[in-house]
Amino acid sequence: MAEEAAAFDLVENDRAPVLALRGDWTVDTIANVEADLRALHLKAGAAVDVSKLGRMDLAGAYLVDRTLRAGATGQQSAVVVRGEHTNAKRLFDATRKSPAEPAPLPEHLHGWRGSLERVGRAVAAVGEEIIESMSFFGQTLATIAGLIVNPRRVRSVSIVHVMEEAGLHALPIVVLLAFFIGLVIAYLGARILGDFGASVFTVELVAFSMMREFGVVITAVLLAGRTNSAFTAEIGAMKMRQEIDAMRTMGIHPMDALVAPRVIAMLIMTPLLTFAATMAGLFGGLLVCWSDLGISPVMFFSRVADEIPAQHFWIGMVKAPVFALVLTVIACKQGLSVGGDVNSLGRHVTASVVQAIFMVILLDAIFAIWFLEMNL
Amino acid sequence: MSDEIAIRVRGLGSHFGPQLVHRDLDLDVKRGEILGVVGPSGAGKSVLLREIVGLDKPSVGTVEFPFLEQEGREPVLGVMFQDGALFSNLTILENVEAPLREHTRISPELRTEIASLKLNMAGFPLDAFYKKPADISGGMRKRAAVARALALDPELLFLDEPTAGLDPIAAERFDRMVQELARSLGLTVFLVTHDLDTLYAVCDRVAVLYRGKIAAIGPITEVAKNAEGWIKDYFSGPRGRAAHAGATGG
Repeated sequence: MAEEAAAFDLVENDRAPVLALRGDWTVDTIANVEADLRALHLKAGAAVDVSKLGRMDLAGAYLVDRTLRAGATGQQSAVVVRGEHTNAKRLFDATRKSPAEPAPLPEHLHGWRGSLERVGRAVAAVGEEIIESMSFFGQTLATIAGLIVNPRRVRSVSIVHVMEEAGLHALPIVVLLAFFIGLVIAYLGARILGDFGASVFTVELVAFSMMREFGVVITAVLLAGRTNSAFTAEIGAMKMRQEIDAMRTMGIHPMDALVAPRVIAMLIMTPLLTFAATMAGLFGGLLVCWSDLGISPVMFFSRVADEIPAQHFWIGMVKAPVFALVLTVIACKQGLSVGGDVNSLGRHVTASVVQAIFMVILLDAIFAIWFLEMNL
Repeated sequence: MSDEIAIRVRGLGSHFGPQLVHRDLDLDVKRGEILGVVGPSGAGKSVLLREIVGLDKPSVGTVEFPFLEQEGREPVLGVMFQDGALFSNLTILENVEAPLREHTRISPELRTEIASLKLNMAGFPLDAFYKKPADISGGMRKRAAVARALALDPELLFLDEPTAGLDPIAAERFDRMVQELARSLGLTVFLVTHDLDTLYAVCDRVAVLYRGKIAAIGPITEVAKNAEGWIKDYFSGPRGRAAHAGATGG
């Protein structure tokens, strides 16, 4: 870089002080002289000598002007420039014309009153969020009921598209994870039950836990991470680019066009994924039983068929559509709440995933207590 | 304006797949001038801008900044994008400070003052400095975007459709602001536009980009006078005549 460091000399001989500038005064170079200039106390009526000045830009001119203004008493009309320079005079005039006083900062809440107020607002926001989510849930149910009454409005193409994107494409990861979970449970069972000489009950442990809980919970948590973020980001981006507004003006309701197809597709796909996950988990357990405990696959299956009543399988499966509905409604609601800026998109995608996982665990706990009390 | 060349484009060719956008395009932008680039939609005006500032690489050809290279300086370019492209998680003031924060070592107060100066010069209202880009109007966003483009005191300023989406009065004020900034800071401005009023009011020269080449270049009155084909339709259509009448006051 052919750039010279900025420097200055202060010449105070007879009356008015003269600030003689040397080197380049640009936004890249002025950092060096900033502190020195601030320490400088110029008398009123100072002039600037630019005859030895290299290049100058607006930032440099501003810094000089600020120094002169600090010394000046009252209003000074223009910077007194001595010497010749290509653009210095023009730049000084330009900075003078635009006062650079920054606007006062907007009032922020500080101290304990501020933090109390923020806590209050946050609590109120949670309440509002719950009410909004409930009303959105109701709207979604009403929309779907409307579609049942009037099936011609069902958008089968989007439904199939979502089924493929969010359902079929999630199959490998769901199956793989459930397989590993089944494997781990079987190892735990083989180890702990073996201590009691009851290692044959590993079959029951795997079948019981995969069917009732893990098959469906693993699927739901995976979908909460995978599908909820995708749905919220898709719908949120459409909201940001005013595509949703455009839909509304055309008389297409986003509930019909965006929310209902996703909900219906997930209502169909989540039970199927849950079934696949349960089977994969059983297969993982089977492998461990076979290799570690010497229980053959035939014996494994006959034991499952004899000892595990079918109701356990159905208790798992019945939760799947409930989770699907709750997850998708949360995703769509968060997507439609996205505002105009990128931050809000990020915030709502996060909220979507966090709320979804939270609701899966909470609902599962409620189901567990309920089924237990019903002696199922 | 001098005869020094600020931007020299030679033999530029670019294509997206089979679609040819530019072929063997030559263009000189003189130092200190405001060059308006016009052309039909899809002629590759914005692509040309992106290739000059280095966001896209042309398939063949070169882009040089002879004046700056001669003085051994890195070209500092200021670019204003069509929708402003302000960072939405920062306030307007922080947006303008962002390039200063990245590239200079000046103190925070001076940085804020310089950013405020730029915003003031761009005619941005004082009371909106701490707002987020989503909370201000399109016209204000464009002014903030110009202020940010000027933050590092570039000598070359690129404006992509600066008056698109503004009402005529706001557009005229914007034109005047650009002209004033260019004159007082000695900027070279490369301005892509569709706005005939802007062309007449602001530009020293006009380049017409048509069928992948610069079909005509020169002061607007000459380009309009010697126009043929598409250029003629462009300048002598009802809008062109109105803009010309407005500019000459007759």
